[in-house]
This record gives sequence, structure tokens and C-alpha cells, in this order.
Amino acid sequence: MPAILATPAGWPRITLAAAGQYDPDEGLAAAERVGAWAAWRQAVGSSPDGLVALVARAGLRGLGGAGYPTADKWRSARSQEDPERVVIANGIEADPGAFVDRTLMELDPHAVIEGTALAAYAVGARRACVAVNAAYDLAVSRLRAAVAEAEDAGYLGPRAAERGLDLQVEVRPLQGAFVLGEETVLIHALQSDRGMPDQRPPFPSVRGLDGHPTVVNNVETLAAVPWIVRQGAEAFAAAGRNGLPGTKLVQVSGNARLTGVAEVPMGTPLREILDQVAGGMSDGSTFKALLVGGPPGGFLPESRLDTPLDPDALQAAGGILGSGLILVVDQRACMVELGRVMERFMSDESCGKCIPCRIGTRRLFELTDRATSGRARPTDPQLLLDLAADVRDGSLCGHGILAPNPLISGMRYFRDEFDAHFNAGTCPAGVCNPLRVTPVAAAPR
Amino acid sequence: MADLIEIQATAPTLAERLFETQSPQRPHSAPAFTIEVDGRQVTGRAGQTILEVCRDNGIEIPTLCYEPKLPGFGACRMCVVEVEGEDHPPISCARAAEAGMVVRTQTERVRALRHTNLELIFSDHNAYCLPPCQNKCPSHIDIPGFLKANTEGDFVESARIFKRTIPFPSVLGRVCPAPCEEHCRRDEVDEAIAIRDSHRYAGDQVLRLQAEGRKAPVPFELQPRSGKRVAVIGSGPAGASAAYYLLIDGHDVTIYERDEKPGGMLRYGIPEYRLPKDSVVDGEYQSILDLGGRFECGRALGTDFTLDDLQNQGYDAVCVAIGCYDTNKLGVPGEDADGVFDGLEYLRTATLGLPFPGHAGSRVVVIGGGFTSMDCTRTSLRQGASEVTLVYRRDMKEMSASSEVHEAIEEGAHAIFQAAPTRVITSERNTVTGVEFQRMRMGAPDASGRRRPEPVPGTEFTIECDRVLLAIGQGPELAWLDHGSDGVRVNRNRLAADAVTFSTGRAGVFGTGDVRVGATTVVQAIAEGRRAAYAIDAYLKGMDLDDVRTRQTIAEPQPAFLSIVPFTGELKEPRHRLRSMPADVRNRSYVEYEIPYTQVEAMDEARRCLQCTCEAIGYCDLRRLGIEYGTTLATLEPSRTGFSHRSVLENRFTGYNHDYIRDDSHAFILREPSRCIDCGRCARVCAEVVGAACYDFMRIGMDTLVTTPLDMSLNDTPCVSCGRCAETCPTGALMPKPRVLEQYDVDESRCILCGICVDACPYDALRCGPDFELAHETRAVPDIDLLSYSAVQHDTEMSYVRRERDWMARALAAGRDVSIDRLLPVLSARIGPGRGEGNGGAGGSGNGRGGEAHQLPPGPAR
Repeated sequence: MPAILATPAGWPRITLAAAGQYDPDEGLAAAERVGAWAAWRQAVGSSPDGLVALVARAGLRGLGGAGYPTADKWRSARSQEDPERVVIANGIEADPGAFVDRTLMELDPHAVIEGTALAAYAVGARRACVAVNAAYDLAVSRLRAAVAEAEDAGYLGPRAAERGLDLQVEVRPLQGAFVLGEETVLIHALQSDRGMPDQRPPFPSVRGLDGHPTVVNNVETLAAVPWIVRQGAEAFAAAGRNGLPGTKLVQVSGNARLTGVAEVPMGTPLREILDQVAGGMSDGSTFKALLVGGPPGGFLPESRLDTPLDPDALQAAGGILGSGLILVVDQRACMVELGRVMERFMSDESCGKCIPCRIGTRRLFELTDRATSGRARPTDPQLLLDLAADVRDGSLCGHGILAPNPLISGMRYFRDEFDAHFNAGTCPAGVCNPLRVTPVAAAPR
Repeated sequence: MADLIEIQATAPTLAERLFETQSPQRPHSAPAFTIEVDGRQVTGRAGQTILEVCRDNGIEIPTLCYEPKLPGFGACRMCVVEVEGEDHPPISCARAAEAGMVVRTQTERVRALRHTNLELIFSDHNAYCLPPCQNKCPSHIDIPGFLKANTEGDFVESARIFKRTIPFPSVLGRVCPAPCEEHCRRDEVDEAIAIRDSHRYAGDQVLRLQAEGRKAPVPFELQPRSGKRVAVIGSGPAGASAAYYLLIDGHDVTIYERDEKPGGMLRYGIPEYRLPKDSVVDGEYQSILDLGGRFECGRALGTDFTLDDLQNQGYDAVCVAIGCYDTNKLGVPGEDADGVFDGLEYLRTATLGLPFPGHAGSRVVVIGGGFTSMDCTRTSLRQGASEVTLVYRRDMKEMSASSEVHEAIEEGAHAIFQAAPTRVITSERNTVTGVEFQRMRMGAPDASGRRRPEPVPGTEFTIECDRVLLAIGQGPELAWLDHGSDGVRVNRNRLAADAVTFSTGRAGVFGTGDVRVGATTVVQAIAEGRRAAYAIDAYLKGMDLDDVRTRQTIAEPQPAFLSIVPFTGELKEPRHRLRSMPADVRNRSYVEYEIPYTQVEAMDEARRCLQCTCEAIGYCDLRRLGIEYGTTLATLEPSRTGFSHRSVLENRFTGYNHDYIRDDSHAFILREPSRCIDCGRCARVCAEVVGAACYDFMRIGMDTLVTTPLDMSLNDTPCVSCGRCAETCPTGALMPKPRVLEQYDVDESRCILCGICVDACPYDALRCGPDFELAHETRAVPDIDLLSYSAVQHDTEMSYVRRERDWMARALAAGRDVSIDRLLPVLSARIGPGRGEGNGGAGGSGNGRGGEAHQLPPGPAR
């Protein structure tokens, strides 16, 4: 059972409200005791437009990372003439080591299914699909069980159709690379094509799965929808801080005292997450950086710790909200080496469709590889920045656009360390071999 | 079988609808709107992408992965444009045009993105465009092309191919230093191809035909007479080649020559034993007369006429190609003494066949290391000099004429290297008695990259001699510039003219050849002349010369991008060398001393060529864009100060890259995955237009490659040999494979098996046979249904398969026998064995391949 970190008293729980409150293996009744499907019963029969408006009032934005307003996406799909609309719940969670969505899907599968059903109702879709990382066996079986129970209860499926509510929800385990989390890639994968992105626009909400208008929402986003219906848009809008709505699931890993998943209000400063949720740095570690947003995220230094957890603020600071992964880096790490590892991952996981991503990220990795092995050329720092900008601006999908992030943010905040590798051929942190090591204060172990 | 019958039930209407479909499909009355592109207001229709609107309006946006039949894909990122009000530049092939959009296609930002993309592509593109030999040739002769013709014994065609870039194969076959051979990739196997000797043989065959009264082949179709008059001044290699190509372009050309006969340095600078005048020079210059050119000999620029005179006479263009005839001075004391001669003056006398006064029996010192010095040395021997010593200040390997040194030594000359004259020793009567030299050693490299020799003090030595011949380089005579040539300027003691447009400062006056670049090789001068002809032709047609610059630089071949895997496994076969007459015979004779190839030798030598060119060079989009986004002048005018533009040739990105193995297992389509840029066009066309889906993106990350599943042979995929993949491939990764047909009377050397004849033949006399080859069908076979074909329009969307399928369905429905041999493999596999009754047993081979499949179906007697 993945650890859910305790949060300070008074912090709201929305997405994980029912997680851990019931045993998903005990059947629908147990879930309904903690409020599952109440929102569905409430919403069905009311106007779908009203549901969209409710979500719009709540200010719900995509929690998968991009932060696109959910209601806008729904509205766009709803306004298409094609009646064959589709809703896809994205539970791929391809970030290495991440278990945010997995925690949610395993502990509260009904919230995910109910949210998906609500989205389908709002959009006017008769087909919905929960795409789950195939490695998540337990999540797949619990989600399937939840769908079966909901069908038995007449919320979905044939028994609901008898009452004029035509909605099929399907759970699809999918195997694939990191880039599968991208919505157009996911759509291709669901069509049994090779997982490669399409150029947007047209967005999937205009032309998606099999050419039909398709809403792709993260499972975390969808799991918040039933809560909004039950508790009201205003309660959701007030849940965040600094005027931001709702909450976000984050996962702290690395050199923090406590690691695991936590639900924190949107807009919480990163420092508070580190200190009050993760309990500060682990013993003997001093803070160096946070990697916010997973492998394509940005490295943020101490001076940016007051950045609120908010897609726009994080982007301005050089990070991304992304999957909500927060990697705590201590003084023993070399930022160039870390950047190299991230770039290697992004390069290996590229789908290979567009040139800047397929070859460009590889060349970025090679540039950092030269730096960490003492083979840097004098022109490399500028070349790194130029190529990073060109890969970001030239790439087709989010994978390539975000791939240079660790290096761009690293060059922005840890320029001294990069310059030491590039120019002096030294590694201040003493990590990179065979570079000459500069003396550092030995970290107590 | 059941599904085929079903197809038959629905096919006619579906097929008819398909045949009538025009692509791309749009409502005829799509509303029009206006968008702004690069400051121009252009009209687009609803449903069009930005790219389509631009293409419709003649605005070019580069693409690599865009296939007009399919929706935008977005892999190559070359069609990226800027749209006002958007941060992230969108790609135009996938972005719908909207009314009022403001688009910029050529901003610095998007050009930089495209440039980076190209650099990235080239950093993983283990292929080259031109073979190295053609690349290094100053005139970029199609060397694999003429060698291919040689292997077939078609020497006239070989000479024609040669004449596309150089009009004089025989002349060059004798005097060219052959820079091509230094870079021949056959060297990786055994020895370089004898390229020069090969075109010499081809050229000589044409000369032989000319002697029999036939005409030399003309490389291009003659253009209609333009009525424009061009004066070419100078009939040397540069002037003659300019005149040759101008004549082909339809202009009226008069060549002014100050000497009695045309030829310039070819006639008056190169001795008879190297280049026979009557048979070779006159023979090849005959082609200029054949084309209608006129020589005005004995008239010199500056003394007999000026540029003003020519232009007043109504010449629309004047091309100055007067060469370099001023020998440089030594700059040491005593060089004015009696007995010190200008090497060119000496050669001029000698090549006229006259003995140079007092040469016999004298001791001669020749100073210099170029072809002129070599010619002086060997001619002096032939004129009976008692002792000839060649002295050069650099090493032998730095001599441009190093290949001849051994021959000269064999003939009895002495050669001293790394020594420079310090003074000429004279007697009281100011005649030469010797030359004092000083030893040199190689110092630091100079700006040109050659190491500059520096004197070693205290190493002086003297060579006693009676005569000194100076051959240390020449410059142009420019005294004519003083009169009647306003606007023409001098640059570093040479005629100032542009490297691409060849225009001097004066309208209608062009300068080319040695007078522009200084003394170079014959092949360089001929290349200059040819390119000047292009520029002059463009000028006469009223084109903008700046456009010409772009056009011409794109037309000129560019260097290779990357090296490639070496050849392994080729059979070793030594080069066929020309035999020479014995040294003690040839050093008394002016007869050409090299014994030419026999026909068998010429063909065998040409067969050694590995044909390592990229077959796609003429239509490769990657190459075109690489040139457009690189420094286009890189090869035309090497800059010593570096390049002013960032060049894709000087790639910023190097690193991990792929070498893939060529797949030539398919009968029709050649796959060269190293040239693949992963644009995915073949995969999409194959899957979405043809319906076969032979290719897809495979593997991930940097190793992604568009290939067949498991890299299997195309033969094992559902390939129908329609050739659409090769047709859409923007590079040479997929190519129609040249094949040799043996059964039919077609011009095999020219057929590329494109299959258009099969498509077009209204009587179905040619078909795509079961073994992927063109098969000749007899019209007497009963199952040919002319009516079913006459209804078929010549459409663009139809594949072989669809037509074949419909035909088969109808034939079956009509109860006719369908012999399996007639079917494409994909269909014969579906029909299965046993259906092809009366078919000589071919029905057993499921996919119709194999020996028995070659049998024609038995029909009534033909």
C-alpha cells in the first residue's frame, strides 16, 4: 500500500477524500457509504450544460500537468457536431517511479469511474475509456470491478441504457513508453497504432479517437469532479491558496525525510511542501534543488522555494507542474550529471517522430555527456543553450518541448556548476568521473 | 473466393466513384478568405492548411515529410512558420488557415529552426550525394554516368554524358591532373579507377567517328536560335567551353583569338607529345564549328579592338577569357641576363614545331613546379639539351605536376627539390653561366594551408648552365584595360568578376577563366567557362543575376556531408594502366607517348567502377534544402577567411549515428536505410493510399527508423511493387531499382521500370508480371477484357491492386478462366492454389514466384 503523507491540519482533501476510507474490494456498498456515486445520482437528469458550468465555476484545471481549463475542453468537445464523442481518463502515469495516479486508482477506483462518467455525461459521450498503465495490476482489477459494480447498480452500461442513459465505460490497460501520457499518443495507442503524437491543433476535443471529438482528462482531474458536484464549485474554488482552486496530488521523493504521495492545496509554496509535508531534508542532507515535474521538469534552487504550486508560476520559475513529482536533491548531487540522466531518459523515451526530439534530445544528452566526462568543447555552453531553445521551439509534442527543461533550468540556476564542467573541467560536487574533483566539505553520512 | 465475389457485387459503383475522385477532396464552393503571408494578401479556402494556401499562391515553404495526398504529419518540422500572436511557431502543413491570419514564412527564427533541424538530420545521415570523384572534379563531370556507358561499350553516349559538363573529353583525357582519381572510393578496395584514361578513350572514339565524317554528340537538345550575339575573347579552354554551351543555348557566338589558330594554351602552351594538335585539339574544336560558332583569329583585344568596339558592333554580351600569359618574375639579381627565358615563350616556339635557337646541346635549368615547368623540361630534352635540371622550391609531393616527374627523370632530366634561386650568375657579357640556389625547408603553414618554404642559411650551391627557363606562374595581361573598357576593374592583378554571375562591373561584359582566377588547370578553366555560359545565357534572357546566383549555386553540386562505411567484399582487380613508349624513344619524339586502351581494356576498366553515387541526387529534397540552408558558395569560391554563413556542411552536432545495411532483395525497390530521414512518407502512403502497410516506425528514441517489421526483406511484406514509396521518398532511401530486362526490345539503359507504360497501355500489352517484372502479354489471350479498361480513366488515386482486384472480380464473375500468372502476388495468394487451371502448374506456387511463373499462360496460337 503506497504511503500517503500526512498533511497539516486544515488542509483540504478532495481527490483523496475517500481514499483509504473504504476497502475497494468490499463492493459498491462500502464505497457508497463514503459518498461514491452520490454525485452521479445528483447530476444525472440535470442539464449537462449546468455540469460544465459548475466545473467552470469551480475553476478546475487539468491536473495532468498542462493545466488547461477542464470546462473549456468539455465545452469544445460538446460543441462539435459529431455525436460520437469520447471521454478518455488518462491513468498512464509513465513517469519513472511515480505512483500518484496509481495510489488514487487503487484506493478510490469509484471516484475515477464516477468522474469519468460525469465527464462523459457533461460532454454527451456514450463511450468512455479509462486507460491505465498495464503494470498497475491492482488498479486495473479494482477499476474493472468498480465498472462492473456500477453497471450492476444501473449507473452505467446496459441497465442504465434501459433507462435512456447510454454510457459504456471501458478499462484499457496499455503498455508503452513515457510519451504515452501525451494525449494524442494515448489516442493512437488506443487505436492500436504506434504511439506517436499528432500536431495540435486540431485538438482531440475536435478530432480525436477514431476521428471523433475526444476529451482526454487525467484520472486525478476526473476524480475531483464528483467532489465538486457534491460539495459545490465554491468549496472547490476556495480549497486552494493564493486564489487558486482545488488541490493537487504531489509525490515527494529523493533526500527528504518523508517520501510518498500527498494532497496539497494548489498554490502551496514549495517550501511548505518540503518542510511541512515531507518533514524537511533527510538527516545529513542540505538542500540543493528541487526537480519539479518529473524528468522533463525544472531544477529549482533555494531562492525559488517560495514558488507556489501552480502551473503558471512554476513555468515562470522554469519548472513544470507536470505529474506532481518533486525530487528533492541534496548537496551531494551534481546538477550536470542529473541533467545528463534526465536528458538521457527523455532521449531514450522519444517516440522518434519529429527531428528535434529524436536527434536533438540525443545531442543534448551527448553535450552533457561530454561535460561530465571532461570532453567539453569551448563552444558547448552556447551550443547547449541554442540547441535547447531550438528543441523546445521546434518539437511536435510536449515531450520534446519539455525535454530540454532540466538543462535550461540547470543552466539558469546552477550556471557556476555547469561552467566548472565546461570550462575548468572540474566537478564541484565530486560526482563526475574522470573529471578532476574540487575539494568539498565532506557530507556527514 | 467468397470475398472476391462480394467485391464484385459492390465494386463497380465503388470503383467508379473512386476513379472519379479527385484529390485533394474539397467542396467545390468552399468559402474563400484572405490571409497575409510575408506581407502579401493571398486567398485561401476553408479547409486548407497554411501550407496549401501558400503553395497555391506560389509561396514556397520547405517540407520533407509532407505528402500532398495525406494530411499534415509534422515529423520534419521544416514547414514551421510564424503566426502573429503565437509564441510557439506552428507547422504550416497541419495548421488550418484562418481568415485574417498573419503568417511569416522566412523570419530569422523559423529559418534558424529549419537550419537546426537540417543539421540534426545530417548529423545522423550516413550518406553522401555525389560520389567523391565527381565532387572533387572542378567541373563535376558525371563520372559514374560515363563509366556506366563505357561498360556497355557505348562510347558515344559516354562522350555525350561527359560533354554535359566538359566539351572536350579527349583533351582532358590527356592533360587533366585528374583530382577525381585521388578521391576514388575504389581505392578502398584496390586501386582508383583510371577515370581520365577512360574518358580519353571515349573521346577518341568520337574523334575517330568525326574523322569518318560523323558529327560529335551534342549533350543537350539544341535551343532555338535566340538572335542574341555574344563575343568570346580568347579561344582557350575557358573561352571555348563558354562558347560551346552558349551555342547550345541558341546564341550566336563569335570567338576572337589573337593567334593564328584557336586553342590558346591548349595549342601554344602544351607540347605536342602530351596533346596532339591536329588530331585532338582541332578535332574537339570542330564541335564548336559544327554548332555554328565562328572564330576570328589573329585579332587581339587591346590592339585590334576594344570592349567598346565590340559592344558598338552590336554584341549583346562579351565574355573575356584571355587567360594568363605574363610569366612572373623571379625577383633575384641577374634575371635580365641573356639566356634567361620566359618558359611560356619557349613553349610557344616549341609547340609550333620550331627548334628554339641555340637550345641543342645547351645546359638548361628550369625553375618552377607546375605543368609549364614540366613541359619546359621535357621539351628541352626533346630539343637536344645536353643536361636539363628542374628545380622547385617545395617538396615533390606539393608539385601540381608531380605525376610527370618520374617520366621526366626516366627521359633523362634531373630534378632538385626544396631549393630556390638566390641569383643568376652571369659572365661579363651578361650571359648566364649558372644559377645560385639556396636550400629550403618547410615552415609554418600560410593562409592557404600550404606550408611556406623558408631558406636555410649557409646552404647555397650553384648549378652551371647556359639557359634558364622560368616557369614560376603567370598572371593575366591587363594592358587592354586602359582603352575602351570603362567599368571593368582589376582585383589583385586579375580581372574583377563575380564568382557565380561572372559579371564585371560593366553591363554585358563577363570575365571567366584564368584571367579571373589566375593560372589554374585546364579542367578548372573549362568549368569556369561553362558556368560563365550559364550566367551569360541568363543575362541574355533578361533574368535577374541575383536570382541566377541562387539558381546556379543550387545547380552546382556540393561536397559530401558525411563519410560512409567502407566497401568490403568487392573482388580485387587491378587498374588498367596505359603503357608508355620506352623513355629513350620518347625523349627524342613529339609523338604522343602513351598507348591508349583497347576497347576491351576500356570496358573492363569502367566495369571496376563501384557506381557509388546516390541515385536520388537529382530529386533529393534533403539535398536541395541542405544547399539552400547552407553556405551555397562553399565549393564555388573557397574562402580563406571562413564562411560568412552558418553552414550545414560544418555541422555543429556530431555524435552517435547509424550505419544501416542496404536492402536490395526486392526486385523493384532498393532500400538504403542510411539515407532515411524518418519522415514516414512511405509508411503513410503505403498504409493509407496503397493499403499494403509494408513500413512503419520501428524502435524508439534515437534508434527510430522507418522500416519493415523486424527489418525483413520487402519481399516478405505485403508489398505490391507499386513503387509509391519510392516515388514519395524525399531522399534516396527508397528508389526504383534499375533492372536489366532481357526479353523485350526496350532501351534497357534508359528504362527505369517506373511502370508508367503498364499504366498507360490501353491494350494491356504490358503488365506487371508475377515476378515483379514487366511482362509482355499477348493480345490473343482470351481473358483480356478491353472494355473493362477503356472505362478506366487515367486517375491519380488508383493503385495496381485495386485495378487488378476489380479486373479479377469481373473476370471471375463472367466465368472466365483467371490464370494465376496474370495476377499480382498479393491477389494470387488470395485466390489460392488450384484456381489457375490450364496454367502449367504455376498455381502451386502460392505467391506466384519461382521459375515456373515465367511461363505465359497457354492461349490460342499467336
